[in-house]
Amino acid sequence: MPETMDLSLTVNSRERALRIEARETLGDVLRDRLGLTGTKISCDAQVCGACTVLVDDLAVSACTFLAADAESRSVRTVEGLAPNGVLSPVQQAFIDHAGFQCGFCTPGMLMATTALLEENPAPSRDEVIHALEGNLCRCTGYAQIIDAVLAAARGAISPDAVPDAVPDAGLDTAPTAEATR
Amino acid sequence: MIPRFSLLRPRSLDEGFAAFVAAAGEGAWIAGGTELLQVMKMGLAQFATLIDVKAIPELHGIAIDDEGGLVIGAGTTHRLVERSAIVRAALPGLATLAARIANVRVRNTGTLGGNLAFAEPHSDPATFLLACGAAVRLVGPGGARDLPIGDFVLGPLFTAREADELLVSVRIPAAGPAVGRAYAKLAFFERPAASVAVRLAIRDGHVAEATVVAGSLSEVPTVVEEAGRALDGSEATGAGLTSRLGAAAEAFGALDVVPDLNGSADYKRHLAGVLLHRAAQQALVEAHARA
Amino acid sequence: MRRVSTRGAAPAPIGLPVPRRDGVAKVTGRGRFTVDIGMPGLAHAKLLRSPYPHAVIRSIDTAAARRHPGVVAVVTADDLPDVRLVYGHAVADHPMIATGKVRFAGEPVVGVVAEDAVTAEEALRLVSVEYEPLPFVTAPDAALADGAPIIHEQPGEQRAHRGFAEDIARTHPNVCSESRQSWGEIELAFGDAHLVVEGEYRYPRSYAYAMEPYTALARWDEGELTVWTSGQHPYMVREDLAQCFDLPLAAVRVIVPYVGGGYGSKSYTKIEPLTAALALRAGRPVRLGLTIEESILTTRGDAAIVRLRSAFDRDGLILGRQATILLDTGGYAENSPLVGRKAANRLGGPYRIPALDVLCSTVYTNTAPASSFRGFGAPQVTLAGESQMDEAAELLGIDPLEIRRRNLLRPGERPWPNVRGIDADLVADLDLAAEELGWTTPLPTGHGRAICLSASDAGSEPMTTSLVRVHPDGSLTVSCGSTEMGQGSSTVLAQMAAGEMGIELERVHLLQSDTAAVSYDRSTGASRTTTLMGLAIAAAARDARAQLVQWAQESLAPDGPTVIEERSGVRIGDASHDWGDVVRSWFGGHAGECVGRGYIRRSGTTEEMPPFWEIGCVGVEVSVDESTGVIRVEKLVTIGDVGCAINPQLVEGQDIGAAMMGLGMATREELVYEDGNLMNGNLFDYRVPRTTDLPEIRSVIVERGDGVGLYGAKGGGEGSLNPVAAAIANAVWRAAGIRLREAPFSPERVWNALRERDAAARS
Repeated sequence: MPETMDLSLTVNSRERALRIEARETLGDVLRDRLGLTGTKISCDAQVCGACTVLVDDLAVSACTFLAADAESRSVRTVEGLAPNGVLSPVQQAFIDHAGFQCGFCTPGMLMATTALLEENPAPSRDEVIHALEGNLCRCTGYAQIIDAVLAAARGAISPDAVPDAVPDAGLDTAPTAEATR
Repeated sequence: MIPRFSLLRPRSLDEGFAAFVAAAGEGAWIAGGTELLQVMKMGLAQFATLIDVKAIPELHGIAIDDEGGLVIGAGTTHRLVERSAIVRAALPGLATLAARIANVRVRNTGTLGGNLAFAEPHSDPATFLLACGAAVRLVGPGGARDLPIGDFVLGPLFTAREADELLVSVRIPAAGPAVGRAYAKLAFFERPAASVAVRLAIRDGHVAEATVVAGSLSEVPTVVEEAGRALDGSEATGAGLTSRLGAAAEAFGALDVVPDLNGSADYKRHLAGVLLHRAAQQALVEAHARA
Repeated sequence: MRRVSTRGAAPAPIGLPVPRRDGVAKVTGRGRFTVDIGMPGLAHAKLLRSPYPHAVIRSIDTAAARRHPGVVAVVTADDLPDVRLVYGHAVADHPMIATGKVRFAGEPVVGVVAEDAVTAEEALRLVSVEYEPLPFVTAPDAALADGAPIIHEQPGEQRAHRGFAEDIARTHPNVCSESRQSWGEIELAFGDAHLVVEGEYRYPRSYAYAMEPYTALARWDEGELTVWTSGQHPYMVREDLAQCFDLPLAAVRVIVPYVGGGYGSKSYTKIEPLTAALALRAGRPVRLGLTIEESILTTRGDAAIVRLRSAFDRDGLILGRQATILLDTGGYAENSPLVGRKAANRLGGPYRIPALDVLCSTVYTNTAPASSFRGFGAPQVTLAGESQMDEAAELLGIDPLEIRRRNLLRPGERPWPNVRGIDADLVADLDLAAEELGWTTPLPTGHGRAICLSASDAGSEPMTTSLVRVHPDGSLTVSCGSTEMGQGSSTVLAQMAAGEMGIELERVHLLQSDTAAVSYDRSTGASRTTTLMGLAIAAAARDARAQLVQWAQESLAPDGPTVIEERSGVRIGDASHDWGDVVRSWFGGHAGECVGRGYIRRSGTTEEMPPFWEIGCVGVEVSVDESTGVIRVEKLVTIGDVGCAINPQLVEGQDIGAAMMGLGMATREELVYEDGNLMNGNLFDYRVPRTTDLPEIRSVIVERGDGVGLYGAKGGGEGSLNPVAAAIANAVWRAAGIRLREAPFSPERVWNALRERDAAARS
């Protein structure tokens, strides 16, 4: 009986064929065989969501999803979000709103958000909170993440010239940071 | 870390049973794997062969049968239950329940049958479906048999299923007019602290045929017959109802409650009482709507 | 976010919310963490851990494991005669692998190195260990009872330590350290008191849950050791590795890639010595990657039992505080003795306290070791101190904010003799919090509000260096030992370097956390990086600029006019030259480099300790569901009193993140032991806050330029955690009339308190 098996799948729009052990999870195959280490393993118990990837557009926990179950299916990971080097609106919104700190939950958070917005392009704040309830972040306390997701949904683009952003940064008094250049 | 195993992927029930025989006593069925792979990672169970049942057609589909019963293939994911128009029409409480199981990833992969077969004492579906009078269909090499949920779930992580039998589908009988079925839970951690399912009917403005099931309290979801009796005949609104609900909640006092991280037996009983009010109110709303 | 600023001007990009410099790396999955590192020939290690909380190891049979195909090495303490096995930052009591006995369930006993991790795990199952179980104790008060099992046989005074001679305990074999903080006449204070409030407050064993589990890789090359680790403090790890393996510091290289969350839990040495030992025996590079379950067993936060008495006069002025604190340090000291010192220091909080006497004991128990964790003793003692401020206010009939105003230290006032005066305006912070919380607006039934404060002697010690290298194109390499663990050091340090050299942020490149490549920094913790590394970078920039001005004079105007220093270069007559021009001109070609050096030690403005006071000021509005005991924080106000927000967006993130972490520990987080075993040592059962727990947030950043750092900056990131449990407890009192003294305020504890309240009302 085969402990190893052939696996064909599409990862980030690229056809892949490889031989794996049956015990390997999708997380194992992505990280260890395909070198796609963006997907992170944390709780290894389907609780934290750090390993969230999309299989045929549905979010799954790569830590506990057998790679064999991805046979002939389309897998998307964080590495596939910016196919031509252009950040997706979700990625850009996370940068603009500081929707991460250490970044370990971020790939999963981005994939969960991507799945949410593909299904529901204009979620309410409560819908965002419900959809991301299963994605843990220990750094941010979530406020900036939820802002980022709502901004991505609005298609909001941040001011790219940073000094211009200062008067809007909520200063009570006159801006103290001088732009000297 | 999941230990090594072999994976077989039968495409029919017969192939599945043959695979089970070939596994020579070291095989286990797997569907979504959300529970099984977890216990294998923790070293609590080890199987040389996993038999993936997802490609067996009999495990799929959601339909209303000739007698109006709702039949759901055991391999149906929680997400499909949640989204199913048939489920939403026939048993809306189940769709709502499915939308609140664990998290979106578990709902996308975990199956209704897998949840029931794992028999975790905090199972949401087992608690609710017990109140709904559901039965599971088990098919083995020797044939099929139907078991009410109460006869199927025998203990924590322990069911009446023989090792070579496969849980194929779940059937929930049609509810008559003016029947409501609802489920309420409170979760402080990953699994519920307490949950209560209520099935009842309204006859002439009074509660009838009440069934109350407590989940997450004891080793298995438990029909609390005393609570059902306390509700039967109650006015369907007002102070009369409130007082009968209080009396019904008293019945949880007789349950053999397992304390856990959520709290002591007394506290969990108290929570069940709170949830009984919530579930009963919801069930009454549904019963009125179906009157 | 609201910013309140009275500080002076700072050169851009200092003070601007520039995007994080690790942003693109982290949103594309390209950012590398230790867990992502591989190398040729890498073998993988797994650990066999003790199932017993306290036991003698009778024998270990590894023969079958050694024969298992794919196994490279099986290592027990007996296999490491050439390694100094015992390490420990404060007290050296911690063998990297169990030697003769185990002191907590989960202690590593055997290491297996194999071709892959699954094979290593298979081999672990082939190891048999014979234990002789010993009586065990898992609570600090029980550990001090007569006849309690003795966890460390070696008397305290014989334990090696680093600078903890005074704290090493001699009173009871299970006491690891004792730290005393006292000033004033405590007997007198209580003798004169109009009111004495007394109580016992408990803070739980907690888990930081850095989402990246502890991971290390070790490689030996011709007597040199290279270790990649998820640790926060590469230089401290280097020191322990050098001692364990008897190597010169220069022969040990510790590299820290991005750290996937630290919060103090990755400070000091963890699994690095064992990984290096495994690599030594394997003769190959080895990776030891723990699971989260194993990480929980590696380090947790100190549980505390705080018995506090506070004396007040009739106007609510504090006359004195007297406390004993027991910290549960678990099986090994780790850094708890320092947590104990800080808990003693921080018990007085932000108040003027004429007399204080605190004895803090860290106590060994047969539980997973406790060590540094965000707040570092402050959350534990603030729960007690701030609860009693509200209790006193209630009993004296004084508004809870007013009693605080009367007692808060004024700017410059010293909390106790010989420490830095308070570098903050605490009354103004409190008033801001009250305004944001809507203190005077009516509340719905079942809701309550509270505001609590803390002040921590933070910043650790000033022992920080930096190099600023100016390249011939004018770009900058800034070398520093500060770790990027999410707090944003890679962004704010670059902002400061750019501001100080007057160049664009894009032209600054930071090199961090590689002991062979960057110069020394003591640690990345105690909220010190922005302040102390910021000063070091500024000093290095000054040093570089001074050299460059000199070079310009020498090479561009040897006989000519005096060189004028400008913001981003020099001017000679009418001609401006940027720094790159000067470098090229001085070397006389197209290449060269100017190296500026910055050293920060206890000298000048950083002579007084602590380097700064870290302020916590948090307001909450809570609701209590009396039917279930569930409390919910409806609104949360954080005041980030940071002197100068180098990057306000990052300060906001730190404040909200810290407060939410505090909310977790106040309401739900607790590691529970039963029969010597951890009952919830996984993320399934240890629940950290989720999106659904997020209250309405008001984040205020206050910049008064009153810190010792650049442009008046001082540290943040821990302060907003420290008062959260106390604020919730006080708000629950006002919402429901119950006084919660044991965190977490779990639904059942709240429900029990409500029942007691009702029973008391009936009788």
